Amino acid sequence: MTTLRPFTCDDMYKFNNVNLDPLTETYGLSFYMQYLAHWPEYFQVAESPSGEIMGYIMGKAEGIGDNWHGHVTALTVSPYFRRLGLAASLMNFLEEVSEKKRTYFVDLFVRVSNKVAINMYKNLGYIVYRTVLEYYSGDPDEDAYDMRKACSRDTDKKSVVPLTHPVRPEEVD
Amino acid sequence: MSKAQSNNMHVLDTAVVERRLRPIYDWLDSGNNKKALQECDKVLKKAPNLHCAKALKALTLHRMGKGSESRVILEALTNEKPTDDATLQAMTLCYREMQELEKICRLYETAVRIDPTNEELHTHLFMSYVRISDFKLQQQSAMALYKLKPKNPYYCWAVMSIILQATRGEGCRDPLKRKLLLSLAERMFDKLLTENKIDAEQEVQLYVMILDLLGKQEEVVAVLDGPLGAKLQCTNFGLVKMTYLKKMQRWKDVNLICKSILAESADRWDIWKEYIHSVFELMYQQTQTSGQENSDGGDNIVETADDTPEKAHEFICRMVESGADNGYVLRGPFLARFQLCSRMSSRGMDTNDLFGDEIELFMEYFRKFGHKPCCVSDLRIFLNLLLTPKKTELSSRLMKDVGISATSVPQSEAQMQRHICAVQLSRLCGSHRDLSPEHLKALITALTLHYQHGYQTYGRGLLSTDLAPCDPYALLAAHLLYDLAQIEQKSDAVVVALALLERLLSNSPSNFHGKLLAVRLYHCLGGGTKALEMYSSLDVKHLQLDSLGYIHCARMMTTGLFTLCTNLFDATLKFFSSNYKDSSDHLTFSYKFGSFTKLDEFMDFRERMNNSLHYATVGVDRIVLKLVECMSLDTLYSITISPKEDKIEWNCLRDNHDLGVFLSWDPESIENAPEDWQESKALFEQDVRFLRLRTSILWTMAAAVDIVKSLDGDRQRHVEALRNALDQWKALHQKTLSDNFPPIQQNLLPLPMPSRLHGSLAAPYCPVFSSFLDFFLSMMGNDSHHTMECVKCIEEELDKLTDFLRDATIKKSNDLMARRKSLELAVNCVEIISITSLICVLCGELVKPVQVKKGKKKSCDTKNKEYVFSVADKLKKEMNNFCDILQDWIDANPEDHVFNMLESLNLNSTENILEKIHYSYKIANREMQLILKTKIKLLT
Repeated sequence: MTTLRPFTCDDMYKFNNVNLDPLTETYGLSFYMQYLAHWPEYFQVAESPSGEIMGYIMGKAEGIGDNWHGHVTALTVSPYFRRLGLAASLMNFLEEVSEKKRTYFVDLFVRVSNKVAINMYKNLGYIVYRTVLEYYSGDPDEDAYDMRKACSRDTDKKSVVPLTHPVRPEEVD
Repeated sequence: MSKAQSNNMHVLDTAVVERRLRPIYDWLDSGNNKKALQECDKVLKKAPNLHCAKALKALTLHRMGKGSESRVILEALTNEKPTDDATLQAMTLCYREMQELEKICRLYETAVRIDPTNEELHTHLFMSYVRISDFKLQQQSAMALYKLKPKNPYYCWAVMSIILQATRGEGCRDPLKRKLLLSLAERMFDKLLTENKIDAEQEVQLYVMILDLLGKQEEVVAVLDGPLGAKLQCTNFGLVKMTYLKKMQRWKDVNLICKSILAESADRWDIWKEYIHSVFELMYQQTQTSGQENSDGGDNIVETADDTPEKAHEFICRMVESGADNGYVLRGPFLARFQLCSRMSSRGMDTNDLFGDEIELFMEYFRKFGHKPCCVSDLRIFLNLLLTPKKTELSSRLMKDVGISATSVPQSEAQMQRHICAVQLSRLCGSHRDLSPEHLKALITALTLHYQHGYQTYGRGLLSTDLAPCDPYALLAAHLLYDLAQIEQKSDAVVVALALLERLLSNSPSNFHGKLLAVRLYHCLGGGTKALEMYSSLDVKHLQLDSLGYIHCARMMTTGLFTLCTNLFDATLKFFSSNYKDSSDHLTFSYKFGSFTKLDEFMDFRERMNNSLHYATVGVDRIVLKLVECMSLDTLYSITISPKEDKIEWNCLRDNHDLGVFLSWDPESIENAPEDWQESKALFEQDVRFLRLRTSILWTMAAAVDIVKSLDGDRQRHVEALRNALDQWKALHQKTLSDNFPPIQQNLLPLPMPSRLHGSLAAPYCPVFSSFLDFFLSMMGNDSHHTMECVKCIEEELDKLTDFLRDATIKKSNDLMARRKSLELAVNCVEIISITSLICVLCGELVKPVQVKKGKKKSCDTKNKEYVFSVADKLKKEMNNFCDILQDWIDANPEDHVFNMLESLNLNSTENILEKIHYSYKIANREMQLILKTKIKLLT
C-alpha cells in the first residue's frame, strides 16, 4: 500500500527512520541535491498511508552508445515495511523510467555478502554480470557484484553476457 | 595590465602552465595547504605574472586562515581584469568560501566586457547571479547569452528568471506585477512555440509551470493531451494530468483515470484517496443537479464513473476479489474500505449498511495482515472511526484473537508478530492509560518475559544488522516503564527501562529505535556521557545533525559536560555553514540540468536549513560556552560575541525536528504526527523565547567589550548600545515572566524534553547580569555614591544566587529525574557567575589608567578601583561557596532502589546503569568546579 512520488528536499528531514538502519548510508547533502537536480525522475519515495517514509530509490542514466544504461545508486526499505514487495515496485519504477529513456540495461552494485539483496535482485531478473574487487572500502575492503538486467532495447541481450574475470574498481566506468 | 603584457602571457604554452599548476591543485585537493603554498611560490618565481597561480595562492592563504593576505592578492588580481577560465574559477572558489558572492558577479561582469563573445564567461556570469538570487540580472544575462548563442536552454533560463521575479521577487507582494511578469513569461514561451522550437522535456515542464501559475488549467490539460505532452516521457503523466483535472473539478475524469490505474495496480494509496474523494465530489454534484441519471455506462466496470459510496464499495470489493500481485496479498483494496468508511462517517453518513460494525473491519484486516509489522501503521490512522468504548472492545478482541494468555507464549514467529501488533494497537486504543502501578508492573513483567522468550526462540541466527522480531516487546516495555515513572514521579522505572534497553542492544546491536529511546531516557536523567555513547553509535551526520539535533546536541549544555559540548557544537556549526555555502551550487545545478521544477524546492530548502532554530541555538550556545570557559582578557577580546553576525531572522526561524523518528503507540498519535501536536508548537515558541533571552547575554557582553576596547570619542555610542541592550533584556525578561509559559507535558516520549526556558527563568540571569552591568556603567560616571549602591546590589544578588544554587541542589531530592533538573540549574548558576566575572574583569580594565592624564578623575578612579576589588573579592568568595556546594552535592550518593525491580525482571545485568549515570554527574561536577577555579584565578 504505497504512494510513490518524487523525492523532495524536505523528505531528507523525514527519512531518518529509513536511514538510521545500519545498511543504509546517509550521504552529504550535495550528493542528494545533485541527483535531485540532474535526475529528479529517478529519485522516488514510497510513503505509507499515514505519511511515513517506507523507502526510496535513487538512480541515474548514463553511458555512451550501447553502454547507455540506468543505474540504481541506492535502494532502501525501512525494516518495518519489508516483505511487502516494496523494493520490487521501486525497482520496477526505475526500470520503467529507463525503458522510456531507451537505455540498454539497468545495473547496480551490491556487497557480495548481502545475500538477501542479491537474491531479491535475482528474483527480479538481474544476473551477476561481473565481480568488482574491493569496491567497498572498509576493514577489510569488500568486493561488489555488478548486477544487470537487459532492457527491451537490447534485443540480443548483449549487455547481460557475464564477464568471466573480475575487474578492478578503476576499470568500471 | 596592458594589452601587450596580457598577450605576452598567452605566449606561455598552456600545456606548460597546466603542468606547472597541477601539483597546486593536487595539494589543495588533499588538504595540504602548506605544500600548496610552497608550490604556488615556486610557480610564481618562474612566472610572476601567472594569474591562475596568484588566484590559487589567494585560495590557499584563505584556507590557511590568512584572510587579509588572501584579500590583498585577490584585489590586485581583480584590477588586472583576468579573463581566463582557470583563474576566474579559482577566484570564484575563493570568494565562495569567503561568502562574498557579489564579488564573483563583478569578476565576470568585467571579464564579459573584455571578452564579449565568450559563451562560457557569459554562462558563469549568469550562474553568479543565480548564487545571489538576483532574478532580474539573471534574466538580462540569460538573454544576452541567448542573443550570442540562440540555444533553447539559455532562453529557458531567462524565462525561469522572469517566473522567479513573479513568485519570489517583486511580484511576490504585488499581484498585478506578478500577473504582468507571468504573462511576459508566457509570451516569451509562445514565441518558442510558434517557431516550433520546443524540444526537450524540461521545456515543456517549464511551459506547464507558467500556465499553472497563471491559473490556466484548461490550457495545461490541452498541452498534456497535445503533441507537447508526448515529450513528457519521464514525468508521471497520469498524475500530473490528474492534478489539473482536480483543480478544474472534472471529477468524472478523475474518477475514471483513478479506476483505470487501480485496475492495473490496486496498491496505489494516493490513487485510492483521489478515487474516493472524487466519488464524494460526484455525489455532491449529483445532489446539486438532481434527477440526471449517470447513464453513460458500459459493461466494463472501469468505464463508468462511480458517484455513490455503494458503487465505490462495489468497485473496491471487485478489486479485493481480483487478489494478489507477485504473490503478495495487496492491502490496498482493504485499506480503501477504511478510507471510504472514514469519509462517510466524517460526513455523518450511516456506514452500517455497507460495512456493518466497524470493529469487524479492523478484525478482518488484523486477521489478514496482523502478522506484518506494517499492520499497526496501516490501521492507526483509522482508529478514530471507533469511539472510546468501541476502542476498548477492539483492544480486548484483538488480544483474544491472538490467543496468548498471561501464562502462555507464542507458538510461532507469526503468532508473536500478531501478538506484538495486538499489544501496539491496544496501546493506541488507550488501554494502557489509567492503569494502576501494580497493573502496569504486571504488564511490564509480561512483556519483558515475552521479549526474553522471543529472543531465545526466534532471535537466533540473525545478522548483526537485523532487528530481531521480538525487539518491539522490549521497546513497548520501555515505554510502559516510562509511563510508570511518570505516575510514580520517580526515576526508578526509567533506570529499569535503560537496563532493559541495554539488554536489547546487546542482543540486537543495530536496533536504532532502542538507541534513540536510550538517548532520550539518559537525558531524562541527565546522564550525558551515557547519552553521548548511545548517540555516537547512531552515527548521526549531515542533515541529521539538524533533524535529530534536538535529541542530544540540544540537551548537552544542560548536562554540564562542557568539554563534550565543544566537539558536538563545532561539528554542527561546520555542517550548517559549509552547506549553506554549497547550497548556492545546488541552484546552479538546477539551471544546468533544466530541472526548473526543483528550483522552488531548492530555494525553500536552503532557507529552511539556514533558518533552523537548532542552528541558531547551537551558534549562541557555542559563544556562551566560549565566554564560560574564557580564561583571559585576550581570549575575551578575540571572541566574536555577536551571534551569527547579528543575522538571526527571528520571524523565519524553523523547527526542523524529526519527532516521527521515535516509535510511539500513544493514542495521541492517531490523529496527527507529533510535529503537529499542540505541545510541539508550544515548545517551539518557548525555545525561541529562550534563545532571545540568551542572545541578550551576548548583546550586552558584546557592547561591554566594545566599550572597553573603544577610545573616548567612540565610547559613548557603545555605552548607548549597552544601555539599549540591557533595557531590552529587562523588558523581555519581564514579558516572559508574565507570559508564564507552562513546561510541556512529559508523559509522551516522542516529545522532546521541556524547554530550557524554564531553567533560564528560574536561575537569576537577568537580575545578576543587570546588577553587574549597572556597576559597569557606573564606572563611566562620576557618581561614587551610585557606584557604591551598585556594589551593594551585586553583593545582594550574588548572595541570592548562592542561596539559589544551594536550594536547587543539595536541598532537592536525590531522585535522578530531580537531579537532572538540579544539574541544569547548577549549570545555569555557573554560567551566570562565570560570565559576570568577565564583566568584573572588564571593570578592572576601565579603571586601569590607559594614559596618565594628570589629575583627571584621579580620586574617582582610585575609588572605583577599590569597588572593583571588592566585587572581585565577593565573586571569589561566592565561587568558592559554589565549589563547596557542588562538592557536597556530588558526595551525597543516590540510594539504589532499583535492585529488586531489576532482579524480578531478570535484568541484574553487568551494566550498572546507576553507577554510569553517577559517573556522568561526577565529570560534570568536576568540569563546573574547574570552570569556577579558573575564574577565581582570573580575578586574582
